[in-house]
Amino acid sequence: MPEVILRNLPFLLQGLALTLSLATLAAAGGTALGVVVAAVRYGGVKLAAPLLAAYVEFMRGTPLLIVLFICYFALPALLGYKASAFGAATLGFILFTGAYIAEDIRAGLAAVPKGQIEAGLASGLRPREVLRLIVLPQALRAAIPMLFNQYVRLVKFTSVASVIGVHELTGDAMLVNARDFAPITILATIAATYLVCCSLISLAGRLLYRRLGAPA
Amino acid sequence: MTYHFDFAPIWAHRDLLIAGLARTVAVSAVALVIALLLGIVVGTLAAARRRLWRFAATGAVEMTRNVPLLIHMYLWYVGLAFLRLPPFLCAVLGLAIYSAAYVAEIVRAGIAAVPHGQSESALALGLTRFRTLRFIVYPQALRIVAPSLASLFSQLIKDSSLASVITVSELSFAASAIESDTFRSFEIYITVALIYLMLVMAASRLVLLLPGAHRPLLRVRFADA
Repeated sequence: MPEVILRNLPFLLQGLALTLSLATLAAAGGTALGVVVAAVRYGGVKLAAPLLAAYVEFMRGTPLLIVLFICYFALPALLGYKASAFGAATLGFILFTGAYIAEDIRAGLAAVPKGQIEAGLASGLRPREVLRLIVLPQALRAAIPMLFNQYVRLVKFTSVASVIGVHELTGDAMLVNARDFAPITILATIAATYLVCCSLISLAGRLLYRRLGAPA
Repeated sequence: MTYHFDFAPIWAHRDLLIAGLARTVAVSAVALVIALLLGIVVGTLAAARRRLWRFAATGAVEMTRNVPLLIHMYLWYVGLAFLRLPPFLCAVLGLAIYSAAYVAEIVRAGIAAVPHGQSESALALGLTRFRTLRFIVYPQALRIVAPSLASLFSQLIKDSSLASVITVSELSFAASAIESDTFRSFEIYITVALIYLMLVMAASRLVLLLPGAHRPLLRVRFADA
């Protein structure tokens, strides 16, 4: 390993840890948000469904950078609270990824045959139980590849958090570069790190899909 | 809530926003053209029959798209700083190469979706390999992938916002400048978000003007990953 990386390894590993925790928090929060949004829209709840549709379209038409700026500068100014960079980034990533995941799960929900719902209702389950016990599990399984695609995007996107001052991997690497100036070595090292993380997530997704995704 | 909305300072800085919008369109348009050209070549290689081509192209695509776009831009702007490329060019190169990987994946999938019999018949009729691609495979593949291309185009426009990080004065850069000038952070970022939203919607409609793409086989989604 090049000397400049070795010397700054603890610092860079700290950045990697922050990148991974940001991505994990956002993946968990975004998935939960996405499932709820997709389920509410699927159920066609009055008032909530069109509002959530507007949220999804807004998020998917706006760059991540602007979403982060809104969470870091605009929302705190509007609501009068003080945001930490990490908190704002987590909120931004959850809102951003949640919208994409909601769409992926919506596609999964649409793929569940109507007959399943009718059969569930006919056998005496309540509509909510049909959704929770019959429709959602199948939709989630079908959505596994798309979900993991989003997680890969998320890991890459965490690099943007460095712009609002989160000291994740990219931010730390640029700090190291500012001090020791070895741009190509440093950029190549963190590029390889992202590559490994993303490939591992893709691999995990494929394995999980092979176990759960195949229709019974 | 004690916040008083005031959009007047935003309107007063409209010239900055318009200049930024023009720069965003320029970065996106140039990057899109390069990404399409590069992506078609790499994607065709990824669908080739020679295993060597396939491995090389797929490997290049995976290496490129699993690295964050910001790193791609830093690579040109910071990593290769000794080349002294202007920031605009660095942003275009980073964005174009990153997006080309996605174009390549779309092109590969599109070619794979055209039934094999089509190119076999064309070759049997005596068309050259290039003409088979040009007249038989590509036109059919384009119809299949038009919705994905529309998504990619809008993704590219949104991604161009990262050019602001390497000092290209596009829309997001203008937003930050206006914000630090007026402190109307909510108004400016919502305005810019809506401008992006309109740009992305317009762009995805534009893809359907491509020859042969006007009747896509699937419904168009304007902001997919």
